[in-house]
Formats: sequence, C-alpha cells, structure tokens
Amino acid sequence: MRNIGEIYKREIKFYFTTPVAYVVIVIFTAIFGFLFYRNLIFYSNLSYQMMQNPYYARNIDLIVGVFSPVFSSISIIFLMVIPPISMRLFAEEKKTGTIELLFTYPVRDVEIVMGKWLAAVTIVFVMLLLTIPAPFLAFKFAGSSEWGPVLSGYLGLFLMGVAFLSLGVLISALSENQIVAIIISYGALLGFWFIGWAVDPHSGKQIGKIFGELSIIGHVNDFLKGLIDTKNITYYVLFIFTMVFLSLRVLESKRWRG
Amino acid sequence: MIKIDGVTKMYGQALAVKNISFEVERGEILGFLGPNGAGKTTTMRIITGYFPPTDGNVIVDGYSVLEQPIEVKKRIGYVPENPSMYKDMKVLEYIKFIGAIKGLKRSDLKRNLESVVEKCSLEDVANKRIGELSKGYRQRVALGQALINDPPVLILDEPTSGLDPKQIFEIRQLIKSMAGERTIILSTHILPEVSMTCDKVVIINEGRIVAEDTTENLGRSFAQSYQLEMTIDGNPEDVMEIFSQIPGILRVDNDRNTYVVDIEKDKDIRAELSRKIVESGFGLLEFKSRMLSLEEVFLKLVTEEEGVNA
Repeated sequence: MRNIGEIYKREIKFYFTTPVAYVVIVIFTAIFGFLFYRNLIFYSNLSYQMMQNPYYARNIDLIVGVFSPVFSSISIIFLMVIPPISMRLFAEEKKTGTIELLFTYPVRDVEIVMGKWLAAVTIVFVMLLLTIPAPFLAFKFAGSSEWGPVLSGYLGLFLMGVAFLSLGVLISALSENQIVAIIISYGALLGFWFIGWAVDPHSGKQIGKIFGELSIIGHVNDFLKGLIDTKNITYYVLFIFTMVFLSLRVLESKRWRG
Repeated sequence: MIKIDGVTKMYGQALAVKNISFEVERGEILGFLGPNGAGKTTTMRIITGYFPPTDGNVIVDGYSVLEQPIEVKKRIGYVPENPSMYKDMKVLEYIKFIGAIKGLKRSDLKRNLESVVEKCSLEDVANKRIGELSKGYRQRVALGQALINDPPVLILDEPTSGLDPKQIFEIRQLIKSMAGERTIILSTHILPEVSMTCDKVVIINEGRIVAEDTTENLGRSFAQSYQLEMTIDGNPEDVMEIFSQIPGILRVDNDRNTYVVDIEKDKDIRAELSRKIVESGFGLLEFKSRMLSLEEVFLKLVTEEEGVNA
C-alpha cells in the first residue's frame, strides 16, 4: 500500500511540475466554460420566449436545456484531453530507460500500475471538480436546484473518463513511443465509440444490440438523464478493470521476454 | 551470498547467456569481465530481478529471485550502465523517493540520506534537477539511490564508463572503501579496474564463462607459460636455428632483431638458452622475461577458447 502511495505521489508531482496537468486542465475547463456559457445564454433566451407560452415552459428546465447538452459534449472533449494524460505513464519510462531501475526496486508490478493509474485518475477527478462552480452558478441564477441529475451526470462522466484513461494506460504499456501511444489511443477510443453505430441497433438484429452495448459512449447517456443503472456502472467498472488488468499482464509479459 | 545457478537467458531465439554458474562470498568484490555483448548486463539484470532467467536460478542471501523477488530486491542496490533516472526530480528528492519505495522508515531514511550524500559527495548538487547534472554527478546519484537502503549487495554495471580519469579514480576508491562490508559484483571491460578493485574475477565471453578465479591466481596460472623477450644481434635465420634446437619452446615471434619466445609451462630454459646464444657467437643485447598481464590473459581467453582449463 505504501509503495502505491509513493509512486502515486511521484506521478502527481510529475503532472504538476511539468506543464502536462496544467495544459490539459486549462484547456478542458476553458472548453467546458465556453460550452456552459453558450448553453446558458441559449437557455435564458429560450426561457424568455417561453414565458409567453406557459404550456411549452413546462417542458424545459436547466437539466434538459443546459446540463444535458454540455455533459454530452464532454465525451468529445474527454476523447481529446485524456489520452495526453495517459500516454506517458509507461511509454516514457520505457523510452528513457527509467523503468529498468523501477523494476529492480522491491515493488510489485501491480503497485506500479495502481500508483500510476490512480495519479491519472486524480487528474480526471480534478478536471471535473473544477467545473462544479458551473452548476452552483446556474442554480443560483435559476433560483431552483436539481442536484440529483447533475451529480449522476458527473458520476457518469467520471466513470467514462476513467474508462478512457484506462484504455490509454494499456496502450502506454504496449508502446514505447508517446506519439504512437496517443494516436492509437485516439483510434481505439473512436473505435469503441463507433462500434455502437456499426449495426443499426433498431434493426432487430442481436448483433446490433451487442455492439450497442459495447459502445463506450452509449452507457453515459442514462447517467446524464439522472438515471443510475447498475448495468451502466457494471459496464464501466468491468471495462476499467479489464484495461488495468491487461496493462499489468502486458508489463509482466514484456519482462519475461526481456 | 550470491549464487548463480545454471542461468540461461534467451531473447526470443537469440541466446544471451548459457548455463552460467558462479558464487560470490559475503564481503567479496567480484569483477565480471567480458567484451561488449558478452552477456554481462543480461546476467546482472537477472540477478537484480529486472527480468527472470529462461532457465536456472539466482539465490541472494538465501532468497530465490524467482520465488521471492521482493526479498531479493530489498537486499540489492543496482547501478545500471548509463543509469536513467527521473530527470525532472531534484537529487535529494529523488533519493528520498527511492528510499521510500525501498521501504525505509522515515527516521532511517533521514539518517541514511545524510550518510549517502556525504559518501557520494552530493552536497553541491542536492537541490539540482538530475537532468542538469554532468555524467560524473549522475553516476554518483545512481550510486546514492543504490546505497540509500544500505543494501548488503551491490551490482554495478560498468560503473566507470564514460567518466573522466579523476571521477574514475573517485568511484573506484568509493567501491574499494566498501570492500568487506558489502558484497559487490562489478562488470567492466577495463582490465586494470579488475586487478585494482576486485578479489575475484569471472570472465565471460559469448554468453559463457571462460574463466573464474581469484585475481592473483588468474594472472599466475597463465604466467606459468611465460614469455621471453630478447634482442639478439645476428642473422635471424641462424638465430631461429638455435631456438629450434632447444626443447620447451612453443613459439617464436621474430621482428628484425627482437624475438618473443613463448615457453612451455614449468620449464625454465633461460640459462640454457642464453648460453647457447652466446656460445654461437651472437650478441645477446637484451633478455627479459615477462608474465602475462591480465589484459593478455583476457585476450587469450576470449580469442582462443581451446587450452583453457581454468
């Protein structure tokens, strides 16, 4: 446990003593802020018009009008900003050779993987945490608050972000070149995204349903609606576990081969 | 203390080391000698647990590197060739981090840190980033990280390569100063380094051990087939004629007036030879007998494997 902590601390320090974390976090929060702002303006104009028609006004609220569209867009932003966090974790150590000493210390492989993975997870957590003022502001201005769906949305986004990240960790363990690692991460994430469209899920074919269930993006939608379904949680947890487990196996097998 | 038992390592189909066995006693400094690509680094990486052997086992202080790698790793300080360390970290911060990872308690860490900084003379660079350091200092930081948990075993892969003469001297002094208290394996392709620092030598070539003995014995056993170096005034053909008359001469190299004569083991023909030459009316200008240096032993071993029974 202590070793995980030490490796975690060193990785966190790296993220924050080099520009990596700052660049990623700033870009993410800036884009989030912009999307939030645009949607809020749009929503406030819309609600102004709706005031003339009370019937329609019942159908819109902050969740539908602002948070759902913003949270949906975050999938795409995550796709861009998460691979840069994960790509260096192992690829860099292999390239510079620092992994040689790391592997000769009395540390288990699983502790190395967990320490690194947790540090990257922390960056995703911080990214999301920094956007929390947005719902506070929105609820304050709206004079009402509906934290349930917002928090469930955050949970979904966090799980999805960590899933993205874990896939990136596996690719970083496979590659020695960070550029290659990031491009393969983009490719693989898009692959897991598009797989849901491979076969029309409404075609009635079983395969369409299966592909739909595999989609890494599809499972976040329910969360954004305020629906916490064990099926979706299971999907992400299983996905994350598989990726981290495979990373561990990849590192072990690389050692055996020398 | 360290027992290498029939270790073989394959990289895919390529054989790196084959069936290597040797032992190092507690407190001994062992020189691991061989040309580049002989399998020194591979063997050291197996001892340190960086990767497992394809076959065989390594026992360090009673623990198997295959079954209890963590216990083995706790007892080893390793300095790789051209050690790569985290360039973004500061020297003290780095060594502290390594100490923590090696499982040192806070109080022990503080104490060891002071002694390591002093031993490796790191005071001046304590707060510099490792990426900014010169090669010599980086080597010392690498030694520092190896020593931070006060390990009984040190594995040093070409610790003096790429350093300037003064730094080489300092590192060798440091290694020597640890003789007796730590068991050290030191790989090198520089022979004087071995005769200067090591008690015992293992010579490896093309993945196999070709010789293993104490530094003194190795020099002596080959010195038995000693050489005579002579300068003789006279017609080379006639001089060679004399050599052929004397039993016990293995080979004569002739370059104008100088002759290098290889003499069979345990035969002292110096008196007979000099008498014969003078009696035949040649001028014996110079007569030197010399032992083979470790350098020559090494070259003999790695160039011609036959005749090596060490």
